[in-house]
Amino acid sequence: MGTTVTHAPAAEGLSKDKRSESRHGPVNSSRPAALKRRGRRENLAGYLFMSPWIAGFLLLTAGPMVASLYYAFTDYNLYDAPKWIGLDNFSEMFADPRWRHSVQVTLWYVVIGTPLKLLAALGVALLLAQKRRGQAFYRAAFYAPSLIGASVSIAIVWKAIFSDDAIVDRTQQLFGVDVGGWSGDPDMIIYSLVALTVWQFGAPMVIFLAGLKQVPRELYEAAEVDGAGKWRRFWNITLPMISPVLFFNVLLETIHSFQIFSSAYIVGGGAGGNACGPADGSMVYTCYLYVQGFENSRMGLASAMAWLLLIAVALVTAVLFWSQKRWVHYEEGA
Amino acid sequence: MQRDRNVERRAILKVAGASLAVAGLGATATACGGDSGSGDGTVTIRYSWWGAEDRAERIKKSIALFEKKYPKIKVKTDFQPYTDFWKKFNTQASGGNPPDVFQNAVGFLRKYDARNVLLDLSAQVEAGNLSMDGFRAGLEKFGEIDGKLLGVPVGSNSMALVIDKHVYTKAGVKPEQGWTWDDYDAAMKKIRDKAGRAGDTGPYNVMYLYDLYLRQNGKAFFTEDGLGFAEADLKAWWAKAEKAVEEGLYADQKKVAQIKPKSAVSGEIAAGEFTWDNFTIRYTSEGKSEYGLAPIPTTDGKKTGQYLGSLMLSASKRTQHPKEVAQFINFMVHEPEVAEIMGYDRGVPATQAQYDAFKPTDPVNKAIAEYEQSLVDAGVLEPITPHPNGADVCEAAFLRIGEEVGLGKRPVDDAVKQFFTESKTALAT
Repeated sequence: MGTTVTHAPAAEGLSKDKRSESRHGPVNSSRPAALKRRGRRENLAGYLFMSPWIAGFLLLTAGPMVASLYYAFTDYNLYDAPKWIGLDNFSEMFADPRWRHSVQVTLWYVVIGTPLKLLAALGVALLLAQKRRGQAFYRAAFYAPSLIGASVSIAIVWKAIFSDDAIVDRTQQLFGVDVGGWSGDPDMIIYSLVALTVWQFGAPMVIFLAGLKQVPRELYEAAEVDGAGKWRRFWNITLPMISPVLFFNVLLETIHSFQIFSSAYIVGGGAGGNACGPADGSMVYTCYLYVQGFENSRMGLASAMAWLLLIAVALVTAVLFWSQKRWVHYEEGA
Repeated sequence: MQRDRNVERRAILKVAGASLAVAGLGATATACGGDSGSGDGTVTIRYSWWGAEDRAERIKKSIALFEKKYPKIKVKTDFQPYTDFWKKFNTQASGGNPPDVFQNAVGFLRKYDARNVLLDLSAQVEAGNLSMDGFRAGLEKFGEIDGKLLGVPVGSNSMALVIDKHVYTKAGVKPEQGWTWDDYDAAMKKIRDKAGRAGDTGPYNVMYLYDLYLRQNGKAFFTEDGLGFAEADLKAWWAKAEKAVEEGLYADQKKVAQIKPKSAVSGEIAAGEFTWDNFTIRYTSEGKSEYGLAPIPTTDGKKTGQYLGSLMLSASKRTQHPKEVAQFINFMVHEPEVAEIMGYDRGVPATQAQYDAFKPTDPVNKAIAEYEQSLVDAGVLEPITPHPNGADVCEAAFLRIGEEVGLGKRPVDDAVKQFFTESKTALAT
């Protein structure tokens, strides 16, 4: 900022800070009227530019959320007016064995899938953090699945890969394992979904890479001088130093895993009128929510399920935040 | 410079405002003239149906024919596979934007009638836009609920036993009209022992077959407002099946699930399975063997409990063009040329005129025609039992829970309890 631009916002902010430091008094009263007008106009412009987002938020996010909160306490089939039934939706859920099954499947998926994905991400990030030829290519190649992974087409490809007599099945047979395709097997289909999420480790990997770059070289050099081996350096330097990044990834990926839907719906769907896998093998929570809402036309119940999921994810997040005191180390002053 | 920019901005705003206003006017204008009308009196109706590419080709040709005969009516089509179709339809219908005319089936009539979605077509019949004459075997009554005409049948089909002919011959089993369930069980053993294959894919989650079995015993799957059988009935049915899977008489259910969407019969896991007769077209294209249609086993050697099932065309209560929709339905069910295009794709044509217009020449369609004729000759056809509001959800539950029983994921007692719980919820809403 040049000194000639007296009314530039940054300069104004600067001078304001200086003044408030010295006088501790209200700043606005001393501002000239012209400035005030200008500020109002700028605010207006700001709101104008934000208005698409604000309108979108109110119409497409906040509105539906409030509506869904109301529906959660009603019996609503999309056609007739919603009927207030209090907490009946929730008590019905807990009594429903299929609902309990969907909770189990989801928890299993989160508990198995998330750590594996983070391990893969961290492992590859450690390899790619070192300088080597073609580094940029490898980074891009490992990141690519994350970009395309959420698409429906990949889920369809996945279904084809894991179906009967396809590549996975044939490879198993080469090793004398004859269990057939995974996507048609009620016990195995969930692992094909785990494999799909692990394959998409690119996004957390990039974040790990950024974290690894931040670890000061001197620490390693000092440790090496003291005779610390590779593992020792990893446990005592790398891991504590990237623990904030690790925390961030754990949080994000856990929340993400709870929300699994499209892959489960597509890999499990289409077989014999069952929406989510043979014998509900890939019936994750959101899948059952979808079935209740759109197949059984029970939007009230589906809304209640959605809110319960929100609360559950919030709780898990809270527990993770609480636990970070024990294992996440922030550098002093950073 | 500064001023110029302001002027520019104002001008742009004016233009934008004006065009918005014009767009608004345009929207009101079209809204007044009905959502799909235009100046020259041409009307567009939306027609959606379930099925696959093959059917899409045939329907496209039929519609081209219709639009040539009725140049003032345009038909826009939309299609999905069966389960996706109903999800989309539900969403559209509840949003007040259902297609003007759509494919329908008996399990959905009461459901959508209760939700005020279906147009009573009898007014159009009286107005002469739709004829209910010339239907075969009493099919004109098929879409009538409580005196309202909610659907017009386009084609009929019946449950049948599809068999792999080579395997049946190898085992020395010859199915005949009037054979009993004991005969059938004996045949299953023979096929397993002599041909080394499971005899059946597993009939216990085929809702429409269980319905026939119940009807043979004086009951039915559905009554007008509930289930027409008791927990003990279903326990016996599923317990028998569980044993048959264990003994290898019915196919290994894990294998059956794994080779889906291919059928267990064309996948050479089972020698036969119960299904709708017009589905047999798939077997020949999927498998290598020769497939045939066999009669449904009976309890007393006479009564099979069979009826004609049917695909229908229904109209939306919200349609702006009931007359044009009726004309379209009329064309699709009566026009002989449509039958030549559609063949037996939607079952055997419902009207005599269309039935006469298409004489199949390929072996598969010929077999279907012969099979349906044999049912008429044997005099086994009866009227269908009603399907209550919620029948579709019950069927989905029956399929799913039946599969779980077959896979050994759920004991029979528990499965029966679960099915009755889910059905009660579905039938109450």
